[in-house]
Amino acid sequence: MTLNLPDVAAVADAATISPLALFLQADIVVKGVMLGLLLASIWTWAIIIGFSVSLRRASKESRKFEADFWKAEDIDRFYETRGKVEHPAAKVMAAGVTEWRRSTAQKVVDRDGTRDRLATAMSSTIAAEIDRLSDRLNILATVGSVAPFVGLFGTVWGIMRAFTAIAAEQNSSLAVVAPGIAEALFATAIGLFAAIPAVIAYNRFSHGINRLESALTRFADSFYATLSRELEAQR
Amino acid sequence: MERAEKIGLGVATAGHVLLFGLLSAGFLATPNPLKLKTPPMEVSMVDEVALQSTAPQISTAPPPPSIAPEQGPTEDAAPAPEPEPAPEPTPQPTPKEVAKPAPAKPQPAPKKPAPAKKEVAKAKPKPAPEKPTPKAKPAPAKPSPAKAKTDTKAKADAKPAAKASTKSTAKPKADAPARASGQGKADKPKGSLLGKDFLKGIDTNADAPRRPPAPAPAAAMGPAQKSALDAELRRQLKPHWRPPSGADADKLVTLLEVRLDKSGAVIGTPQVIDQLGVTASNRPQAKLHAERAIQAVKLASPFRNMPPEFYDQWKWLRPLRFDARLNR
Repeated sequence: MTLNLPDVAAVADAATISPLALFLQADIVVKGVMLGLLLASIWTWAIIIGFSVSLRRASKESRKFEADFWKAEDIDRFYETRGKVEHPAAKVMAAGVTEWRRSTAQKVVDRDGTRDRLATAMSSTIAAEIDRLSDRLNILATVGSVAPFVGLFGTVWGIMRAFTAIAAEQNSSLAVVAPGIAEALFATAIGLFAAIPAVIAYNRFSHGINRLESALTRFADSFYATLSRELEAQR
Repeated sequence: MERAEKIGLGVATAGHVLLFGLLSAGFLATPNPLKLKTPPMEVSMVDEVALQSTAPQISTAPPPPSIAPEQGPTEDAAPAPEPEPAPEPTPQPTPKEVAKPAPAKPQPAPKKPAPAKKEVAKAKPKPAPEKPTPKAKPAPAKPSPAKAKTDTKAKADAKPAAKASTKSTAKPKADAPARASGQGKADKPKGSLLGKDFLKGIDTNADAPRRPPAPAPAAAMGPAQKSALDAELRRQLKPHWRPPSGADADKLVTLLEVRLDKSGAVIGTPQVIDQLGVTASNRPQAKLHAERAIQAVKLASPFRNMPPEFYDQWKWLRPLRFDARLNR
């Protein structure tokens, strides 16, 4: 009986973790899955970076605008100087002021109707701003929930192919099976690589959006109360 | 907003390219623990032991006579009442004297000299101590070392007797008194068993060979050669042996009968003698297993490095075993 160890060193050398090698030796379907997931990951990170920049800027400017607004003596003049800028709080104020000017332009002012229109105009502006800001969040949610499944699909496909290779080789040694399974598992790895940041960012950003929305709503309510008082004083 | 997204896209792309580039370049690669410092070595195990003795044949010639040390004077040699029996053997100086001393012995029947007499009787029938017979009969010819010590005196007796057959008849005379005196001393354990003149026969044999002839080479293969030949066969068959895979396929064993000529080439087609380990689940593979075994023999056909001096051992390989072990 002769015990002859296989060439262990040669087998071990083939097992590298290089993503490029794993990608190049994969099946066409698995390649497609990997490419798609890689693009999804890039898109996710682009959204995360862009979104965090714009969300931070929007909330900071809204807070600053709000503080400045309550310090202002004259609303009309503040609106003329600061009200034409592109951020949520300014737009909410602009909507209120525009509606106020339209409603009080007539000789007879319907106070209840004016109040309704002011509230509707400002809340719809808030909703529009939040919608515009959270436009990309659904992409994060989609990537976060679907990418693991896509990766899993790639893995299942790759392992099926590896088993076909075993059947063709008529040899079930680990050296035949291992590379196929490694490249298949790489698809799941990329899927998780894309999905984990997407889920984290989605939760974080939806929380940020909610905070911005409630801040805008509070500002709109205060402004509405001010306008409503103003409407009462106007006889 | 649009600008922020563009910046984000650029940063994300650059980050991914950087990360995958680093991973591809072997960043985070762990040193491979499986790399062996020394190459694997081939281990050969002997699992078959030949039934035939393969030790080098030992010549039947007796070992060279050694001169025994004198044991000193025997005190009671003179008062022994056996001078009378001693002369009795002397009158027969014929070559058949060993037959005579044998009957002479029974009268006192001492325990000690008995094995010595047997040796003489056995050595006697072999008329040629110098010429080793091809037949292996090591047991009778080879005195066991344990016995050798106790029998030193007995051998001193035996040797001259053995030589006596080819030599002159003068020695039996010298022997006879020695033996007679030995018997005489048997009932008196104090003294030496040897007579004073026991060295006489040795001196005359000075021309006898001092050591037995060189041992002949073994005719049969030993376990070591057998296993080496087996390993060599397996080594040459292995690259060509592709057993089928499947459920229980490694339980299949195919036994082939293969005839080889002197150059190591296969004569005719190997025949399947038997197949072992066939179960319900590997039955479909059994035929393929046998075909692959025959194919492996044919592909490996001129077997190289076969020892020509053992051609008898490998001209007819039966059974040549093909199993999962061969593949390992």
